[in-house]
Amino acid sequence: MQILILLLQIAMLLAIVLLHVAYLTYFERKIIGHMQVRMGPMRVGWHGLLQPIADGIKSFFKEDIIPQQADKPLFLAAPIICLVTMLAALAVLPFAEGWVLADINIGLLFIFAMSSLASYGIILAGWASNSKYTFLGGMRSMAQVISYEIPMGLSLVGVMMLSGSLNLSEIVAAQGTSIFSIYLFPQIIGFFVFFIAMLAETNRVPFDLPEAETELVSGYITEYSGMRYALFFMAEYIGMMVIASIGTICFLGGWNGPFAIPFFPPFWFILKVYGFLFVFIWIRATLPRYRYDQLMALGWKLLIPLALLNIFLTGLLKVLVR
Amino acid sequence: MISQLIFLYCALVIISTALLAVRFHNPVYSVLSVLVLFFHIAGLYLLLNAEFLAAIQIIVYAGGILILYLFVLFLVNLRQEIKSQRFVAHHRLSTVISIILGLSLLAIIPYFKLGAKGNYPVARIEQLTHTKAIGMEIYSTFILPFELAGLILLIAVIGGLVLARNDKTDPADDVSDSAAPTISEVQE
Amino acid sequence: MKVQYKAKRNLLETILQVEILQGLALTLRKLFSRPITRQYPDEKPPMYAGFRGQHALVRDPVTNDSKCIGCMRCATVCPSRCIHIKTHPGDSGQRLIDQYAIDVLRCVFCGYCVEVCPVGAITMTEVFEYASYDREAIYFDQEILLANWDRFLEQTGYDDTYVNPFWRPRGGLESRLPAAMRRDVPADWTIEGQFVGTKIRQPPACKLITDTEAAHD
Repeated sequence: MQILILLLQIAMLLAIVLLHVAYLTYFERKIIGHMQVRMGPMRVGWHGLLQPIADGIKSFFKEDIIPQQADKPLFLAAPIICLVTMLAALAVLPFAEGWVLADINIGLLFIFAMSSLASYGIILAGWASNSKYTFLGGMRSMAQVISYEIPMGLSLVGVMMLSGSLNLSEIVAAQGTSIFSIYLFPQIIGFFVFFIAMLAETNRVPFDLPEAETELVSGYITEYSGMRYALFFMAEYIGMMVIASIGTICFLGGWNGPFAIPFFPPFWFILKVYGFLFVFIWIRATLPRYRYDQLMALGWKLLIPLALLNIFLTGLLKVLVR
Repeated sequence: MISQLIFLYCALVIISTALLAVRFHNPVYSVLSVLVLFFHIAGLYLLLNAEFLAAIQIIVYAGGILILYLFVLFLVNLRQEIKSQRFVAHHRLSTVISIILGLSLLAIIPYFKLGAKGNYPVARIEQLTHTKAIGMEIYSTFILPFELAGLILLIAVIGGLVLARNDKTDPADDVSDSAAPTISEVQE
Repeated sequence: MKVQYKAKRNLLETILQVEILQGLALTLRKLFSRPITRQYPDEKPPMYAGFRGQHALVRDPVTNDSKCIGCMRCATVCPSRCIHIKTHPGDSGQRLIDQYAIDVLRCVFCGYCVEVCPVGAITMTEVFEYASYDREAIYFDQEILLANWDRFLEQTGYDDTYVNPFWRPRGGLESRLPAAMRRDVPADWTIEGQFVGTKIRQPPACKLITDTEAAHD
C-alpha cells in the first residue's frame, strides 16, 4: 500500500515536472521573443499556448535517425542517462514541509552526484555520435562540468556550515533564524559564485559552449533527432529546474515566505523557482557567449578563490557569533 | 534477508563488471563498466549505512576521476586500440600467473577474521548521521593522517604548477632577439 | 599601443558588473515594449510601387490578346534563361507567338525583361502569394500569364495603364523610353523622382523633359 502511494506520488511529480518543462520552453520563447521586440509563438492555440504540445507530438513522431558510424548502444543510452539522472535528482527536493519523496540525510550531495553523472550522458552522446561537432561539444561539456562543479560545491559549503546539515529540509528549516529567514545576505559571496556556477552547470547562456550553435551546429546533440533529441531537451530543462530549486532551498529559504498560504504550502517555493527560471531566460536574452579560455579563467581564477574566501569568512562568522 | 540479497547482487555485479573492464576491447566500454562498478560499491556503502561515503564515491570517483579517464581516452586514437587483439605480449604466461594469484587469494579467505568493533554501531550512526560521525573522526582521531594527505595533495598541486608554468624569460629567446637586427638597422 | 575600447570602470562598478546590469535593464525594458512583428497571413504587408511579384502578360484591350511582338529581347536579356518563346512568321512578315512561357522556379526577379520590353507586353504584378506544391503550377505559359494579368487588375482595381516603375530605367530621359512606356504617371515616378538615391547633389546636365511634354512627343 505504501509503495502504491509512493508510486502515485512519483507519477504525479513526473507529470507536473514534464508539464513544467513543456511550458518552460513556451515561456522561454515568449519572453525572449518579447525582449527582442518579437512575439514568439503565436499560431498554435491562443497566443501559441498549445505550441509545446504540438512540438512534443512532432518530435515524438519524427524519424529516429542513428548515424551509420555511430557507436549504437552508447548512442541510444546517452539521452536516457541524461534524463534519468536529472529525474533522480528531483526525488530529494523538498517542495514544502514534508512534501518530499526521499528525505535523505545527504540530499545536497545526492544532487551533486546526479548532476555530475548527467555529464556522462553529454560526453557519451558526443563520443558515440562519431562526428566532429558532437565530439567537440562533448569535450567542452566535460571540461566545463568538471571545472564548475568545484566552485558550485564550494559555494554551498558555506550554507552547509551555517545550517549544519546536508539534508535539504533541514537546510530550509535552519534558515528561519537568519536575516529575513534566508541565507542570501550572510552568504552573498556564496550566492554570487553559486549563481554563475549554476548557469555554467546547466550549459545555459552565457556558458552554452557545449552546444554553441554558431560554432558547433548544435554541439553534442547534432546527430540526434526526434524523441531522443527531445529527451536531451527535457534533461536540460529539468536540470534548470533542479538547480533553481537548489538555489531556492539553499539561499532563498525554500518554502518559507512572508505569510503562509493555506491549502498550498509550496506556493513560495514555486514562486521563487519561477523567479530563478525567469532570470535564466532573461540572461539568455541579454548576454553573448563566453570564449572558452574566458570560461576557464572565470571558473578557476575567480570563482574558486571567491568560494574559498566565502568558506573562510563563514567560519569566522560562526566563531565570532558563538 | 533483503540486505543479503542486495549484497549478493552488488557483489556479483562488482565482480562481473571488473572482469568486463579488463575484457572489453574498447577502452570507453571498459571505463563505463568501471562506472557501473563504482555505483555498486556505493550501493555496498549504503548497505553499511555509510551514506556520506556512498555519495562521495559517486561524486569523486564517478563524477571526477572517471571523467578524466574518459578525457584521456578521447585524446587517444581509439580506432587503433580497438583493432589490436592483445595488449600483453606473453599472454599465456600471464594467464598462469593470474590463476596462481587468484587461487592464493582464495586460499587466504578462511583465515579472514573480523576486527575489533569500533565506537560506531549502526544505531549510533543513525542517531548521529553518518556525515557528522565521519567528520568528527577525521578531525579528531585521524587529524594527523588527514593533514598529511592534505600536504601530499598540496605537493601534487605545486608540482603541477611547476610543470605547467610557462617561463616567459626563456634565455634562448633572449639570444635570438638580441642577435636579430632591429627595424632601424634594417631600414639603414 | 594599447587601445582603450571602453571607459575604465572603478572598483565598485567592477564588483557590481554595471555593464551586465545595464544590458539586463535594457532587455527588461524591451520586454514590455510593443512587438514589431507583422502577423503575416492575417496581416498583409503594404505593397510599394515597383514591387517585383508574379509575372503577367498585359492583355491588349484591342486584340484581346498579349501585346508581345516576339522580339526576343526579354529572352535574350534574361540572366537565368527562364523565358522560352517560340514564333513563326506571319503573312505580313510579323512574328506570331506560338509559345511564351516563363519557368518561374528559375526566375531571379531582376525585372530586366520588363525593363527591356519595347511594347510593355510583360510586367511584374504586386502578387506574391502563389506558392504551390507542384512544379507544373508555377511554370507559366501564355494563358496563365494573361490570366495572371486579368486577376491582378480585378483584385487590385488598377486599369490597364498600370505601370510598374521598374519599366522605367532610372536616371534616363523620358523621351528615350520606348513609346509604349511613356505614360502619365504619378508625381513620384517622374524623371526627378527617378534618379537613384533620395538626394542627388548635382542636377543632371541635360534638360529635364517633364512627363507631360514627353507624352506629347
